[in-house]
Amino acid sequence: MAFRTLACAGKNTFGSVLHAVLPVKQSVCTSMLPCLGLSAAKHFSLSSQNNVKKIIVDESEKVTTISAEYVESPLAPRLLKKGKEGSHDCPLCALNLNVKHTDVLILSQFLRPDGCLLPRRTTGLCTKQQLRIKYLVTMSQKAGLMPNLAPSWSKKDPRKRYGSKKFNRYFDEATLD
Amino acid sequence: MSAARRVQQWATFGRMWYLYDAKWQNPLDSADKIKLYLSGSHKPIYHPLSNCGDHVVVMNSRDIALPGIEWEKRVYFHHSGYPGGASWTLAWELHQKDPTLLLRKTVYNKLDKNLLRRGLMARLHIFPDDKIPDSILKNISGQIRQLRQVPTRLDHIPEEKVKSFPRIFEWPKDYVIQ
Repeated sequence: MAFRTLACAGKNTFGSVLHAVLPVKQSVCTSMLPCLGLSAAKHFSLSSQNNVKKIIVDESEKVTTISAEYVESPLAPRLLKKGKEGSHDCPLCALNLNVKHTDVLILSQFLRPDGCLLPRRTTGLCTKQQLRIKYLVTMSQKAGLMPNLAPSWSKKDPRKRYGSKKFNRYFDEATLD
Repeated sequence: MSAARRVQQWATFGRMWYLYDAKWQNPLDSADKIKLYLSGSHKPIYHPLSNCGDHVVVMNSRDIALPGIEWEKRVYFHHSGYPGGASWTLAWELHQKDPTLLLRKTVYNKLDKNLLRRGLMARLHIFPDDKIPDSILKNISGQIRQLRQVPTRLDHIPEEKVKSFPRIFEWPKDYVIQ
């Protein structure tokens, strides 16, 4: 059984509860390992979540320090149209694009690495555009155009799908209107 | 006749062999285009009885694309001639059995329903992939343009282009990078 001291640092508050030494059971240990990894797939919090930009893990001999800090977004320099601070305008309506289901470079921006759509509070789109993106992404995934943005257990190659799903298909975006 | 006149004669009356890549193309729209070249309707000297049709070599017929749920809904009828011999086969089942059949049946159904049809079908050569025999490859003298734009898969796009593509929206301040 391993004992780990969890120290809070920075703006992140995992709750002052964590200042105690937690006895960690074997089962919890193994489940904590992916959380403490560099690619934090799961959020780890015991109290109410205060989501932060980046979670940093500092592992020394006997003490593991998990801290969090606000980092500059890596997307900022590539942003097409910069809105005012705190604006709630829909970015897609402002750009006035005709997005098709084959525009994979645009649609992949609204997806998580496992192929899930990002929620509206993250994308900042209006209801109409969020729905439209949802259907376009569905079309694109059924056409097999984004096989790398898929869950880890899925077949990455569309040709390995079963039955009729292995054949090519395309969609008409006019059916969305 | 003169050399220029001879060239003109060959260009007008010589039989052309056209190549068509059916990758990501709708077979019905492709058949509409192919039937014009098979019958010779694309030529100003066209007459149905003047045998002015060209050959069309179709490749990658395995990669044709049907819209929406047509793979599951489109059916092909066949009767063996014996009583109780009627069968309806779904498009995807037929494509699995023979990847050239779908396009062949589509072109056959689009051609004029006369005695010339069988002769024109004999001038259509369909191949499921890009492996075409040398004897046919040597004859190819032209290409028919594709009707639909071929989409690129995300993993086929070079990484630098994906990373340098402009972003539509910025992550909100309280977003956790995953």
